Amino acid sequence: MIARVGQIWANATPQVRRPFYIGLAVAAVLAVLVGLGVANTETFLALPSSFEGVAASQAIWGLKPSNLLMVLPLGAFLVVLARSFIGLKAFGLFTPKLIALAFLQIGPVMGPVVLCSSVLVGMIVTPTLLKLRMTRVGFLGVLISLIVLVLVGLQMVLDTQLQVGAFPVIVCALCVERWWKQWGKDGAKPAARMALNTFVLALMIEFVMVSDFAMALIEWSPLLMPATTAVAIAILGRYRGLRLSEISRFAPIWLERRRRARAAAAEAAGEAVALPEGVSEDRRKGLPDTRRVPEPEAMPEPPPQPPPEPVPEPVPVPALAAYRTPRLTPLHRSHGMVLAALAGRAPPLRGMWVIGSPDELRPGTRRRVPQPLPDRGARSRPRLVASGGRAVDGRAADGPAQRPPVHNAWVIRKVEDV
Amino acid sequence: MFKALNRWLGLGEGGLIEGEILGINMRNALIQRYNPRHAIERARDKVAAKRALEAAGISCTGTVAVLEDHQQVADFKPSRDMPDAWAIKPARGSQGDGILLAVRREGNTWYKGSGAALPEDMVMHHIQKVVDGGFSGDSAAEDAALIEPLIIADPALSRIVPEGLPDLRVISLHHTPLMAMVRLPTIESDGKANLHQRAIGAGIDMETGRITRAVVKGVPITRHPDTGVNLIGFEIPGWKRVLELASKCGPAVGLGYCGADIVLDVNDGPLVIEVNAHPGIEIQNICQAGLKSRIAATGEDFR
Repeated sequence: MIARVGQIWANATPQVRRPFYIGLAVAAVLAVLVGLGVANTETFLALPSSFEGVAASQAIWGLKPSNLLMVLPLGAFLVVLARSFIGLKAFGLFTPKLIALAFLQIGPVMGPVVLCSSVLVGMIVTPTLLKLRMTRVGFLGVLISLIVLVLVGLQMVLDTQLQVGAFPVIVCALCVERWWKQWGKDGAKPAARMALNTFVLALMIEFVMVSDFAMALIEWSPLLMPATTAVAIAILGRYRGLRLSEISRFAPIWLERRRRARAAAAEAAGEAVALPEGVSEDRRKGLPDTRRVPEPEAMPEPPPQPPPEPVPEPVPVPALAAYRTPRLTPLHRSHGMVLAALAGRAPPLRGMWVIGSPDELRPGTRRRVPQPLPDRGARSRPRLVASGGRAVDGRAADGPAQRPPVHNAWVIRKVEDV
Repeated sequence: MFKALNRWLGLGEGGLIEGEILGINMRNALIQRYNPRHAIERARDKVAAKRALEAAGISCTGTVAVLEDHQQVADFKPSRDMPDAWAIKPARGSQGDGILLAVRREGNTWYKGSGAALPEDMVMHHIQKVVDGGFSGDSAAEDAALIEPLIIADPALSRIVPEGLPDLRVISLHHTPLMAMVRLPTIESDGKANLHQRAIGAGIDMETGRITRAVVKGVPITRHPDTGVNLIGFEIPGWKRVLELASKCGPAVGLGYCGADIVLDVNDGPLVIEVNAHPGIEIQNICQAGLKSRIAATGEDFR
């Protein structure tokens, strides 16, 4: 595991390393401050009533209640650091500070116990409360009543002075509301993670607040702490590099890039690629070879072309024959064509006169010409254009010749027939 | 000393040149610098954003009606004013809250994609709730209901997905589109194109408009899990037009750094549905490329 991390680290590029160093440095400073604060804590499990009327923060850490206000700038600074360098997301800027304040008022262990139990009750009750379809104000009112109920219950069980003021109640109610909203927005898991982050941040703020460093600043002058944090936030809050959490988020990109670069290098090295240490055989052997085939140095000499075949002599084009008038050959009566015409299986008479009566042969008369029968079906056939354009299929093209005209012609064979 | 500190904080000259991944801190700095407050407000309000986009000649999704107050709601009659398929959206909703879709109509009853019936009074009730600000977070007391005709996806895209509407996200800085992905709904994501709900995110090559890589929740895939269609190499139809729209969106709304959500309609081609003033940075993991290096490549001098 450690070797693996070391290997990854050896391959990391500066753009990964710098934010990592910065994030680690910030985390280390915070850890040292928290450690100092923990070392400063005299009793962990003392209950507020054992301090005989002295505020818990003063009895445990020697922090004057009037200086509790200093939690706000310090908490803001720590929340900004944790968010923009490490990537810890909490419920807003204020919630962790307020929780830390509540912790400082109740005690290092009892604070989290009280807060967690009341928040848990709130979380369990919330789904049922939302089913009542109340307004937000009504919802908060019921929630606060319930949380006070839990706090008073704890007071009766554990300690009569557990609840210092109204403050923790409000903090609890706001926490539950924020948590529930986040749940509705992102789902249970991210909301729980954010709640945990908030809790961790609150603990961090609490212990940094009581560390030697912060206490000395407050001792020196109460003005010093807000001024210092203001300057520090103004400088460090403009950090634009990657957050510590983003390094792992975007690690796949760097890993993929590195893998590709390595593959490209191996490709460039060609066949003589050395296997990495500890690998005895190339397991990629069975896979299809995707490496590019090296271009051949020069094209092989093309085979000598056979001598060109002799072009055959052009065939002389025969000259056009002189025009001769076609000789008409009279057909016999029993000739096939004549018989066919006689049998009434004659082809459709197109462009012919139809002689219905002897009168029609007289000069100057109007003669009947077979007319195409009107095709009623054509009207309902699909057309491309509504105004009777080209029909979709080619049926209309040969339209008129669909049904043969009526064969009512006389066949004239002799002059007497006329 | 200040120079060294600035360098470590990423504020110096090399702030954009070093590294390639755009972190949240850097993104926030970009937004702070290039996205003025009023433009962000405009982008957040779908109706205002749509007006600005249409004024700039960008093709948006159509509009059936915008109901801004109770007077207009009282005058509205769904059976008279609504088409067969529509979408009701709250103008200030976030993350798809309060969006109601109807896909077909029978008489005066519409039907959701799931087949559930939507009678006229139910539609009216939903509009009422939207206008009351029921889906607009806690700040807005009143909201506008935006009613649009339902978008039917381009058949080339709807062939890939089992249900739902795929949408394209193009991130651009000023007039330059930087990076793009397409979000493909799956059955698991319930037809929603939301990456958190296990929809597919597919990175698109900016030049050719082809999908280069597809990811579900960090796991690379090559085929759509429901339809089995090969995603890698799929070419987005009308890609040139998509880029053109995306490059015009930000300036039209007044945003310098923005993410445009674009859908491909079956009839009208690419249409802008929304402009996002705070686009996420997960797109880098999907395209497997860094936004920071692309911003630097545009010649942006950001301190």
